[in-house]
Amino acid sequence: MEMKKLDKRVLTLWYIRAAITALVLAGVFAGAAGILIANDVGPLGLVAAGIPAALILCLTLIFPALRYKMYSWGYDDKRIIVKQGVIFRQRVVIPVCQIQDLHRTQGPFMMMLGLSGVTISTAGSNFNISTLTTAEADRMIDELEANLEVRIEELKNEKI
Amino acid sequence: MKRFDKGYIFSSLLSDFFSTLVILFIIFEDLFFDETSKKEDMIGAIPFIIIGFVVIYLCFAIYRILYYRASGYELGETEIKCNRGVLFKKRSVLEYKKIHAINKKQTLFQRFFGIAVLTVDSGATSSSQQAEITVIEKDKTVDLLVNELNALKEDGIRGAETPAAEADVLLSDKDSLYNFTSKRKILYTLINIVSTAFYTALLGALALIVIAFCKTVIQFDLLGTVLIALLITVAAMLFLSAFSFIISAVYSFVAYHKFTITRQGNNIQISYGLLDKHTNTFSYDRIKAVKITQSLVQRMLGFAAIRLEVIGYTDDNGSNNSAEIGVLVPFCKYKEVGEILKKVLPDYVPEKKQTRSASYFPFVSWFMLIWSIVMGTTLLSLLAILQFVGAPAYGISAVLLSVAGAGILILCIKLVSAALSYHTNGIAVSNGKITAYSGGFTKNVTVFLAKNLIAVADVTTPLRKKKGITSLVMHLKTNALSNEVMVHIQNDTLTKELEELLIL
Repeated sequence: MEMKKLDKRVLTLWYIRAAITALVLAGVFAGAAGILIANDVGPLGLVAAGIPAALILCLTLIFPALRYKMYSWGYDDKRIIVKQGVIFRQRVVIPVCQIQDLHRTQGPFMMMLGLSGVTISTAGSNFNISTLTTAEADRMIDELEANLEVRIEELKNEKI
Repeated sequence: MKRFDKGYIFSSLLSDFFSTLVILFIIFEDLFFDETSKKEDMIGAIPFIIIGFVVIYLCFAIYRILYYRASGYELGETEIKCNRGVLFKKRSVLEYKKIHAINKKQTLFQRFFGIAVLTVDSGATSSSQQAEITVIEKDKTVDLLVNELNALKEDGIRGAETPAAEADVLLSDKDSLYNFTSKRKILYTLINIVSTAFYTALLGALALIVIAFCKTVIQFDLLGTVLIALLITVAAMLFLSAFSFIISAVYSFVAYHKFTITRQGNNIQISYGLLDKHTNTFSYDRIKAVKITQSLVQRMLGFAAIRLEVIGYTDDNGSNNSAEIGVLVPFCKYKEVGEILKKVLPDYVPEKKQTRSASYFPFVSWFMLIWSIVMGTTLLSLLAILQFVGAPAYGISAVLLSVAGAGILILCIKLVSAALSYHTNGIAVSNGKITAYSGGFTKNVTVFLAKNLIAVADVTTPLRKKKGITSLVMHLKTNALSNEVMVHIQNDTLTKELEELLIL
């Protein structure tokens, strides 16, 4: 099965989200630094508080790129495979015949960038394919729907 | 549409009487129990209490009568219909073929008036309160309905020639496949209490070691005070454990009174309860997994509990919607598990482990890495803060040693937990059945059929991948929240084996 990489726009979306998180964190850290300065903690205290702050901010900015690099997905007429994770790498196999319903979701940033998320619901768990282009998501849903109908018919015949 | 039995109004009014008293007690508690209250004020409040009682009780009474008038049920040709509700009226229709669970419940007050509540559910809900169908009828009528619905869920059609069900078709205690005897109940309670006492004593003992260690290094008066406080806390907790033993023993006798599991054809029936009597019936094919759990103390003494994971709910508390699942056998010897399951659920007898954990270190590696960063940062920060506030050297040493001691203590607990996980985790796959062994302090053995396996995931790190090690996540077909089973640090060839079991 051919595994596909995510569109470059997905990385832009993740960076937008990371930037928002980083801004919030920077605000929190700036507030904390202000309190430390007001209490005359001195340069050593500021450095001690600044190291974890810088580390968290760096991770917030580096993580999307690493996540993008590791993410891949694919499907055929029988199964869907999603690979993801930076440190803990997960590979999940979902049989097409177990699909209960398929959802396409879009937030405001996703709409701006022409992206969509796909959620695959089964009788046990829900699985997300993080973010695809809207065209890819629509094509995937249509193809999986068609594959599902074919597989259900095939499985019925196999049982007979 | 047939109305519910009038006993519903009387039994509800009786319980409402007590509820009204409780409400009034809460409202007027301060007046009667406050030392500053005057006698005249108390006497003056009596008419208001009476008026309050009448008003509240009247509201309850009106609600009960309206509920009675608005509610009813009907057995159609292919489905059962039910109307209920006062402000928000609900009409439910459930096809016989789609019936998942048929539960009968009787509270103490309902038993006085000879009525029972029957709930019928399609498996889409998570508690009996949400069940599609509710019927309140005479006890005997409910028994007849249980039998009739059990037959109809197989046939699907209620014909004119359908013979009337007999009440005595319900299974009796003699047919029970498991007996929760008084001796077992006492043991069950004892072990629960011992578990609590064990963890309390363990933590207390380890904390004592830390304090004693600090005391040998430095002479600090505060330690003596802390030591006494700790000893008092441990003693109080042990005393509470002894007290809770009595409460738990009474509870286990009342809640699990006449606990029986019976099987008739495709149906499993679980009955229990002294004050609130429950009879839960559900189809064998609705069971998606069986979970055998052992706490650390149960494990040491060789006992276990068997729980069910089904589509929908298994008991009236809807407990399988949380991390918990319905109890099949609350307490038994671990070596009896196979024997009990052979009688009740022969397809779910656990197989012996075929694989073992591939390595011990991955169970602790990430914890140790994160823990050492957290501990290092905490110790350095503490050192900086204490120096900044100008704490004396012996004070700094005491604080740092205590924090380091606590850190070592948590690390020791993790190392033991990891050792237990290393010995527990494993998988057995045979004849379309999967037995997953997981957990650390609490051991879980989950048995499920391959046809209920929805998806398989493997989780690994680059280093583990090189060594061919992975953790497996199996997603099961249930609507419970606990529909994932994770088996840690296995050989990665297992992933392929499990993927082959998926119905593609």
